[in-house]
Amino acid sequence: MAVSDLLLETQGLHFCFGKRPILHDIGLQVPPGSIYGFLGPNGAGKSTTMRLLLGLLRPAAGTVQLFGHDLARHQVALLSRVGALIENPSLYGHLTGRENVEATRRLRGLPAHRTTEVLALVGLSNSGGRLVKEYSLGMRQRLGLALALLPDPDLLLLDEPTNGLDPNGIMEMRGLLLRLRQEHGKTILLSSHLISEIEKVATHVGVIQQGRLVFQGSLAALQHRQADQTWLVLDTASADTCRNLLPQLLSGALLTGPGTLRLPFSTPDQVATLAQALVAAGQPIYGLRQEQPSLEDTFLQLTETSTAL
Amino acid sequence: MKTLTTPPPPHWATLPAAPGALTQLRRCLAADYGKLYRTPALWLALAGGALPVLLNFCIFYFKGEYLVKPGQNPWPHYVTMSWQTASAFLLPLFVVLLTGLLAAIEHQAVGWKHVHALPVGRGAVYVSKLLILLQLTLLAQMLYAGLLLAAGGVLGWLRPELGFRAGSIALGPVGLMLGHTFLATLGLLGIQYVAALWWRSFVVPLALGIGGIVTGLTLLRWEHVDVIPYAAPARVLHALSGKAVLTVDPAVSLAEWYSLAWFGGAVLLGYALLRFRQSE
Repeated sequence: MAVSDLLLETQGLHFCFGKRPILHDIGLQVPPGSIYGFLGPNGAGKSTTMRLLLGLLRPAAGTVQLFGHDLARHQVALLSRVGALIENPSLYGHLTGRENVEATRRLRGLPAHRTTEVLALVGLSNSGGRLVKEYSLGMRQRLGLALALLPDPDLLLLDEPTNGLDPNGIMEMRGLLLRLRQEHGKTILLSSHLISEIEKVATHVGVIQQGRLVFQGSLAALQHRQADQTWLVLDTASADTCRNLLPQLLSGALLTGPGTLRLPFSTPDQVATLAQALVAAGQPIYGLRQEQPSLEDTFLQLTETSTAL
Repeated sequence: MKTLTTPPPPHWATLPAAPGALTQLRRCLAADYGKLYRTPALWLALAGGALPVLLNFCIFYFKGEYLVKPGQNPWPHYVTMSWQTASAFLLPLFVVLLTGLLAAIEHQAVGWKHVHALPVGRGAVYVSKLLILLQLTLLAQMLYAGLLLAAGGVLGWLRPELGFRAGSIALGPVGLMLGHTFLATLGLLGIQYVAALWWRSFVVPLALGIGGIVTGLTLLRWEHVDVIPYAAPARVLHALSGKAVLTVDPAVSLAEWYSLAWFGGAVLLGYALLRFRQSE
């Protein structure tokens, strides 16, 4: 991927809290018009990375490029095109929802009609007059999203945006993100510790573990990685008997039950050959199927090993 | 011969223009005024101006005959006495509380990470809040002076025998004293502002402020007390004299110069801390 094709890119990003290293050589590559799922378990360094992308923290080494420009040199200019929601939204409890949006709108120097538009977009038009301290967690999260959407940003950085949302709210958020990408061409960097949430919306994925990027690529590449780890599972009367009768075909099989064998899947021909051989040997086939690890299994596997990219 | 051409940058790669420093400051001020709505800060500024006047009014209303000699112009004594109460203790305490309240607006909302991720520089954010603080302090002091004179007028109606209606007060010395007091307040205001921004807890700057006020008042007789910014509002009272006529020495005192120096130093230090501080 050419450098100039990336809307957000970090190179060799390192960060330390005092002497404790937190991030090691993070090289994010976010193409324009993508929804980039930034995955990792709690404490892996997602929020710290997001803060570095906004200039809230200074890296010990490395650079952040937004829209092809160095963030450290052009922070104020570049942030005018970025909307962000970092962890819990920063809201003033003594102000109403509308007044909160107004405060940010004035800071950004945007026209007044944007306040009404973003409140409508996140479904808070009717609650805009209520004090934020009376808001539920989900309403606060939606108001935080409204603040992020206020400048109609080209890049949205959302850190765990579904925190506190009920299932309906999560679905609405998902729909909104997809619309923003598909209809408005927005680029969205979305962090989460839940693969199930990311796989429904993301086009690209980065996985971070203990401050290191352990996977980065398209969602299809992650799914392909799963395909490489497909197993063939045979249910029969006696797994031991089958293994003794067909040592060539089943030498690498693992016994996972008295009647169950599990072996690496290679090709569809392998399935046909095995089925024929079992029938020829007079062994019953109760089941013969492929099993793939779920994306969640892949994610867990990635985050359990620490081999960085 | 073929010429090598580089492809044009994508449409999103155009660097947007950054707003100018004054535009950033104007935007920050507009937002900060909005954030004051429904906070105790504005009420504190009003109460900070009104409370010493009310106390002094009550003293003169109920015990005025013991304080004013018959036939004497009561105004100089009235203004001097009130100013002593207000300037030495209440005004520094008011500044300590006000700075804490203003900073708490952002601390409580965990607002720094939001504000610093917006297209305004840290300098604009810092100066905006400082300007709001200075404006509220000045508002409280002007309100105090105005209410003090108005309350004297009311005393003239309610207690005519005290002589407030017959006597008079020149506004020039009152305005001059207001200037002295404001200058004397700046040093502790700068220190408290930086402390309130640095510590998220309201308690630490409050303890620092009360400790400073107590130290300043305790060491008032020390020959180098002018160095202590918390003592400056009490030290400038020396400029005020009110026996038959209210007079105010126009010269800027050593305590005021020190106060200005503390303000400048604290503001610069605060900016440096904010500039290089990693946001939470």
